[in-house]
Amino acid sequence: MASRPVPDHVPPELIHNIGLIESPEFLAAPHDFMAALHDRCPPIFWSTGTQSAGWNLIKHEDAFFMLRSAEYFTNKGGTPFPRDPANPFRLLPVEADPPEHRQFRNVLDPMLSPQGILRLEHTIRKLANDLIDEVEAKGECQFDEAFGRPLPVSIFLDLMGLPQDMRDTFVEWAVDLLHATDPAVAGRAYWAICGYLEGAIEDKRKRPDDGAMSRIINGQIDGEPMSAQDVFGFTVFLFIAGLDTVFATLNNMWLWLAQNPAKRREIIARPDDIMAINEELLRRFAVTFSGRTLLKDIEMRGVRMKAGDKVMSILPACNFDPEVFPNPLSVDFDRKRKPILSFAGGVHSCMGAHLARLEIRIGLQEWLRRIPDFELKPGFTAEFRPGGVVGPEHLPLVW
Amino acid sequence: MPHITYVAHDGASQTLDITAGENVMHGALYNGVEGIVGECGGALACATCHCYIDAAWVDKVGGPASDAERDMLGSAGAEVKPESRLACQIVVSDALDGLVVHMPDRQF
Repeated sequence: MASRPVPDHVPPELIHNIGLIESPEFLAAPHDFMAALHDRCPPIFWSTGTQSAGWNLIKHEDAFFMLRSAEYFTNKGGTPFPRDPANPFRLLPVEADPPEHRQFRNVLDPMLSPQGILRLEHTIRKLANDLIDEVEAKGECQFDEAFGRPLPVSIFLDLMGLPQDMRDTFVEWAVDLLHATDPAVAGRAYWAICGYLEGAIEDKRKRPDDGAMSRIINGQIDGEPMSAQDVFGFTVFLFIAGLDTVFATLNNMWLWLAQNPAKRREIIARPDDIMAINEELLRRFAVTFSGRTLLKDIEMRGVRMKAGDKVMSILPACNFDPEVFPNPLSVDFDRKRKPILSFAGGVHSCMGAHLARLEIRIGLQEWLRRIPDFELKPGFTAEFRPGGVVGPEHLPLVW
Repeated sequence: MPHITYVAHDGASQTLDITAGENVMHGALYNGVEGIVGECGGALACATCHCYIDAAWVDKVGGPASDAERDMLGSAGAEVKPESRLACQIVVSDALDGLVVHMPDRQF
């Protein structure tokens, strides 16, 4: 894929081909790479990378400004995801702007609020323990396959009101869609997912329950039932948004836990501080980026950007802004609490953030309770995969 | 249902019935009250549901519910006062029927 040409209004000194997402330097140690951007680059620069062409923001303050200023920065058409021209659905709520956006959020926010997800706590704890049961006695596992992938998939099925016997099929679809290097494989998975979800939506119309899919079907926008296209776009979006991000986050955290026995012991010794521990790990191991398109010209830190420019906040780099989080790469559970950008911010702040926090918290608690000591399989070196969700592809552990 | 009065920075007020057990931030968001953003949804992770408890209610509502709320208030956009709270941390109950909260001039 060729880079887009650099527009004339971009000063040459602000053009940096940093190699985000795809360069060997990034893939060797992506979080170190993103932390180092604060030394290598100006706070706002134009990246010429094939995947990240456009303005890049790395300051905590600037990312929040972008995320909170919907009057300047739109999400419309902002998600690089294939769509059937015959069914040009929007991914919802992420591709809607305010004020319409809030109505879509109101459909599921009560279910996904901190109080709403508490009803899932018991189920998640059981699922986590079932997965650990399968590997504990073996003394080793491929963490990604044994835990990182199936845990969020199972929880997604439960949340949507879909049958658990679809777990392995969904895992396969998710792997093919999000990780296949062959576009034909990803395409087949995409059509399989769409076909299945269309059937499931029909089924829920006939037999409603209290799951997320039924809530979406019964959701109202401006007092009218949501259109069939919006129901579909909402459902597909939940599948894409929830699975890979938690997967990558778990893999990142367990890669670090395997190499940091003293920190593992500290986590085990401080059960009452698990919320703060979870938040610090989420800060340190953020996995994604947030892109917008400028609706009108704007100047930030003296940099003039124009309507139509793409702008992307490198959220993990913003979590490493030394002005906000001193000594940013060190994991310190006693840091003064500040807003982290791992779930973005503003009106599009991740709607699954509480669920993700709960999944990860329970994952940490149950895994460390049952397998407190583990390490990387000897000879293993982590390989990160190129793409918009940052995490190691495989993670073999032994104990 | 307990009723809660939200007073905007310009003095306009709205009184709403909020289900007991819900929090004051959700009460605003689900009813379209401007002035409370609540972007993190109540995870004590954003400080955008900052409000001032009306003087008549300060003793009953009390100060920050946790160190995390106290820390997070430090990131609030508007002036933090002794009666500042994060609305997501105030659970509506019959005891708080009639509560009045004032919104700051901005949330970030």
